[in-house]
Amino acid sequence: MSRERLKELCLELPLFPVTSVGSFPKPDYLTQARADLQKGKITAAELRALEEKATAFWIEKQEELGVDVLVDGEQYRGDMVAYFAEVLPGFQEGGLVRSYGNRYYRKPIIVGAVKWEKPITVDWWRFAQERTDRPVKGMLTGPYTLMDWSFNEHYPDRKATCLAMAQVVRKEVEALIEAGCKIVQIDEPAISTRVEELPFALEAMQQVTTGLPAYFVTHICYGAFEHVYPKVLELAVNNIDLDMSATAGRRLPLMQKDPFTKDISYGVVDSHSHLIEDVETVKTRLAQALTVLPKEKVWLDPDCGLKTRTVEEALGKLRVIVEAAKAARAQ
Amino acid sequence: MKLLLTNAGSYPRIGETPELQLLRRTQAALDRKEATPEALQAAEGALVKAALKEQAEAGLDLVTDGQVRWGDPISHFAGKLAGIEISALLRYFDTNFYFRQPVAKGEIKAANGRALLAEYEFAKSNSAKPVKPVLTGPLTLARHTLVEHEPYKQLEALVRAYAQALAPELEALAHAGAEVIQLDEPAILRQQTDFPILQRALQMLVKHKGKAKLALCVYFGDPQPLYERLQQLPVDILGLDFTYNPKFAERVISLGSQKPLALGLVDGRNTRLEDPAAVAHTLDRILLRVKGDTCYLNPSCGLEYLPRDRALAKLKLLAQIRAQTKGHK
Repeated sequence: MSRERLKELCLELPLFPVTSVGSFPKPDYLTQARADLQKGKITAAELRALEEKATAFWIEKQEELGVDVLVDGEQYRGDMVAYFAEVLPGFQEGGLVRSYGNRYYRKPIIVGAVKWEKPITVDWWRFAQERTDRPVKGMLTGPYTLMDWSFNEHYPDRKATCLAMAQVVRKEVEALIEAGCKIVQIDEPAISTRVEELPFALEAMQQVTTGLPAYFVTHICYGAFEHVYPKVLELAVNNIDLDMSATAGRRLPLMQKDPFTKDISYGVVDSHSHLIEDVETVKTRLAQALTVLPKEKVWLDPDCGLKTRTVEEALGKLRVIVEAAKAARAQ
Repeated sequence: MKLLLTNAGSYPRIGETPELQLLRRTQAALDRKEATPEALQAAEGALVKAALKEQAEAGLDLVTDGQVRWGDPISHFAGKLAGIEISALLRYFDTNFYFRQPVAKGEIKAANGRALLAEYEFAKSNSAKPVKPVLTGPLTLARHTLVEHEPYKQLEALVRAYAQALAPELEALAHAGAEVIQLDEPAILRQQTDFPILQRALQMLVKHKGKAKLALCVYFGDPQPLYERLQQLPVDILGLDFTYNPKFAERVISLGSQKPLALGLVDGRNTRLEDPAAVAHTLDRILLRVKGDTCYLNPSCGLEYLPRDRALAKLKLLAQIRAQTKGHK
């Protein structure tokens, strides 16, 4: 079914399309430049030029490696929620909160009605797409995650907050499609947070994607996926992107019992480990996946965004995925 | 009724100033092999001292070390035990925080009371106020562990193994002078059928608490369905999260409490500040129904889920609430 959607959109992809979840590591010069901007040592235009340089680098590298569906690498974003909150009226920047280990993010605070006024990601998507003939995914954060990863001082409850976010995200999806984007990823890593809230999370995604001409992906990771499966298959998207490298043992039996009805972007390398998996490991993981999942439904990618890896680690992890995909296609 | 103000566990290990970002910088440098483990320890110590100071200045009577040295509530202790390996990231309850999952690969062997004692002694020697050690309980540890060691596939066996590993820690902390030791068991609110297993684990653990009071804290869920059974547990203080069910306070007022309570009436998960007068009114009504001479007012959970300025504001709010109660000091 989803292959038909791709065909309708004139997208021809090989078996086991290789993609990424979204973020890539920022080169040192960009990390330094972001700090310099904070201190007033450089201008926003100077930072933008460096972000463009880094984005172009990642587009070039993905092409070189043979990735099939590209991402812009989010060199201009800090965090997946704060990035949107910084420009959407109704949000206020929050202080630093730890997400795990030594990683922190600025958790935004909703202090008023959140409104979409103008495109947020379209310029960067266009910048990336102009540099490659391969499709570049538009990358957004989903309504449930925007709600769950923000503090709320305005809306009466979590459902009202989530549905308000859906209106905002839909407008951004429409803007991406108008610009020519055909594959839109709407990340919902938070979706398994509270199982009892899944119905309104599904309702929100429905409001975001219904009737729009694109191939939709959602990324879900590091949560109690088992608790929302198979109900989560009702998400109004074509492809669900999952961290599978450490979880296949318990998730594949679930998919055996209740068939996975959508395409799957199947995470085959650990995004949070310095170790670069060898190709044999990735091949083994793919072979395990294919004992349960039909091959025409399987895409391959890392478990999550690679921004916490070094540039070399990120390239190494993508390389082994591409090599494993090529080997599998050759069989 | 004496009402003591306390922190429920963690406290932000970062803030907006360079001094408060020392730990993040040092950890990152250590990851790049540009700093030593000793430098990391010193950075942790500096942030523990900052947490202790802010809690004391906010007016708390009983403070914690902010669990600043804890990578997360699960792997920090579990990772010190033989038989356990630490693995991938998983979401911690319904928070935006991720922990590293322990994998039970073999028989769990205790760290003989040496896993947490140094943290307590450091905090105690740097605190103007009494320090409350906070430990994650055996059920919550077990429920977050992936089991590969066959004998632990029975949940109770794994809970018992963790409890046996925690027992010498409790003993050591009590011996070192901790007057109140907090044991966190949020998992019981998710899996209420685990109650008999938790009860048996606690029956074993309380034998090791010495003269310390053992506070069992449950949060990240509505305690109402279990409230009457929680009262039967062999602990000295019961810590409750009031933020998931707006009607729970009325239930406690209706049923009363046979045990002193640690009252999580201030939301440790959202920045919105509660109205101190409204909370004080509820608190007064609850305290009338509690047996004992001391209760505790604290946030609903550790404060690491908030930015530092908001965490501090929540602590100051505790003092404002107490000031508006009817004479509870």
